[in-house]
Amino acid sequence: MTAATTDQPVDDTRPLWGIAQYDDGTRRVPWPVSHAEIERGMAGAIPTLTGVGVGVGSRVLWCTLLSEAAHFWPLFIGTMLGGAQFSLADATAPDALRVGMFLRRLEYRAVMGVNDAVLDGFDELGRSYAEVFGGVPVVGARPGAYERLRAVGLAPHWFVLCGPAVAISVEPGGPARVDPGEWTLHEEYGRILVTSRRPRATTFDRTPTAIRGSLVDDHSFFPETGDPS
Amino acid sequence: MSSLEPYFDEVAETRSRSDLDAMQLERLLLMLPHAYEHSPLVRSVWEEAGVHPRDIRSLADFSERAPFTDKETLRHWREDRGDPYAGLLCVPVDEVTTILSSSGTTGEPTLQPQHWGASGGPVPAGLSRDLWMMGMRPGDRVMVVIFTFRGPAFGMVQQFGATPILCDYDAADMIRFCELSLEFRPTGLYSLSSMIVHAIAEACEQGGFDPADVFSSYRAMVQAGEPLGARARAVVESWGVPLFEHTGVGDVGTAFECPEHDGLHFWEDDTFVENLDPDGTEPVGDRERGELVATALVNRTTPLIRFRSDDLVKLTRVPCPCGRTHSRLWPVGRKGDGVEIDGRTILPIDVWPAVESVDECSRGLFQIVREAPQMERLRLRVGYGPDCTDRLDTVRDDLMAAVTALLDRVPDVELVPEAELLKLGPPHKIPRVAKR
Repeated sequence: MTAATTDQPVDDTRPLWGIAQYDDGTRRVPWPVSHAEIERGMAGAIPTLTGVGVGVGSRVLWCTLLSEAAHFWPLFIGTMLGGAQFSLADATAPDALRVGMFLRRLEYRAVMGVNDAVLDGFDELGRSYAEVFGGVPVVGARPGAYERLRAVGLAPHWFVLCGPAVAISVEPGGPARVDPGEWTLHEEYGRILVTSRRPRATTFDRTPTAIRGSLVDDHSFFPETGDPS
Repeated sequence: MSSLEPYFDEVAETRSRSDLDAMQLERLLLMLPHAYEHSPLVRSVWEEAGVHPRDIRSLADFSERAPFTDKETLRHWREDRGDPYAGLLCVPVDEVTTILSSSGTTGEPTLQPQHWGASGGPVPAGLSRDLWMMGMRPGDRVMVVIFTFRGPAFGMVQQFGATPILCDYDAADMIRFCELSLEFRPTGLYSLSSMIVHAIAEACEQGGFDPADVFSSYRAMVQAGEPLGARARAVVESWGVPLFEHTGVGDVGTAFECPEHDGLHFWEDDTFVENLDPDGTEPVGDRERGELVATALVNRTTPLIRFRSDDLVKLTRVPCPCGRTHSRLWPVGRKGDGVEIDGRTILPIDVWPAVESVDECSRGLFQIVREAPQMERLRLRVGYGPDCTDRLDTVRDDLMAAVTALLDRVPDVELVPEAELLKLGPPHKIPRVAKR
């Protein structure tokens, strides 16, 4: 098992795009990111979004945190390049109010990145998940939130921050899939590891992630869940 | 450009008043027909006032004749006509790429449709002037601590040619802030609030970090949201890094302090600002308290025209000793936040020092409960920290004594856990006035 190494050569003379963070299962690791890899990610996001029906004339609400910006930014821009609109809310309990506001006032094809904190916020507001999300065709939920939404009869898609990679299932209950051009996945004692396939400001080589699950192939997996169905 | 030069864009930042006026007029005369033609709200308001953009030939014409809009106008339009964009959208809906929202501190958030390009959202050019003005330089690393719902604030850092370090706006995560500061040695920080200041101080203590080391690389820190109280400001001063105040300008532009720390500059090439009698339409004098009224000069997607912001400010057009000629303002409070008690109007800013002087309430989380514009007694709802539940009577007594000593008015004090107040706001501020 090899940790990420930083400041590897990348064909990009611009200042770094940013220093984001990813979770390796023990801590949140600072993650230098180049503009070049963000730009590749934008193009790579479009097929995934198309796969969940996001395209011209549709709308996506992304639930995110600033430290996750390198995961999400290519998805935001990919949404736009694919002809759809997007909105933003923080993936925090207090911002559940904003998530609810957007879903009440506008029609969304998808709400992605829903996590436990957002659902906790709806619990505090006394609003049922079915009432809030029931009218949204695609709900992309992170581990934890995924199981809670299934428990009330909803059919979420997986939305998983798998170390530095993003894995999304294109159908409810289907495996979560990363961009195969960018990432190779491995499984070690039930933990998912990632290897980067193209030049990045930070190179990943069988780098551990916080995600446990079982591989389907080298770019898709089923996250571990307490929900056997 | 030498990093020692005081200006990012000397020509733009030091234009003469006559040049600024001419530029504003030129941009205004382009904006008004555009807004009138495409914004149903603007057209309706102007038609109702019997004014047409062709009637406006000078800034004086505009100040004399242009009708106002305000939050209530927008709310009515939104609710009565079912238009989520409140009649402001001036581009075809299919050109809207992004729908963000305001903080919603004082009510339902306002939707903010935007048109983004492939490189991201609109980042006003003036923000690069601001970062330079505060001492940051292209190639630097800048710590960005902010929420995400208003869009990518880190874009201003990237546009400037610096690298953002992305840190969640989470008081519980400030040990991470300290670690990132030590590892990456940023020169700037955007942004601080009272809550984040106290959280960083606690993280330093709990994590065994020496603030002198954590902050050794910083040249500037930006405070946003609402003014820091004296207590939080003293904590920042102990870190030895210059603090620059930052505020919004009527939902149209932004304003930042310069190194003179004598008012916040806003860029008059993108925002036309008037400072008017809060209860009338006449301008107030230089540095007198008035209501900020803003008009967009460059935002062609949802331009606000003569928008009464409810923000009370003092303003001067006198050039700053820093050499910049663009006007400066000083935030004072919000119109309607004041409550008259025994002949004196009291604003949250008046109460603040007394609340934060009590240790258990040092974060300055409080609200004025304003059931009517005039009340017999000042009513306060004050947040207390988690470690003092066993002595709330004493805390209440201390608060009453501090407020009475400062304002010569005996208040009624309701104590609530800080967490209850924090739930009310966006993360960087809370509504300072409650109706009940």
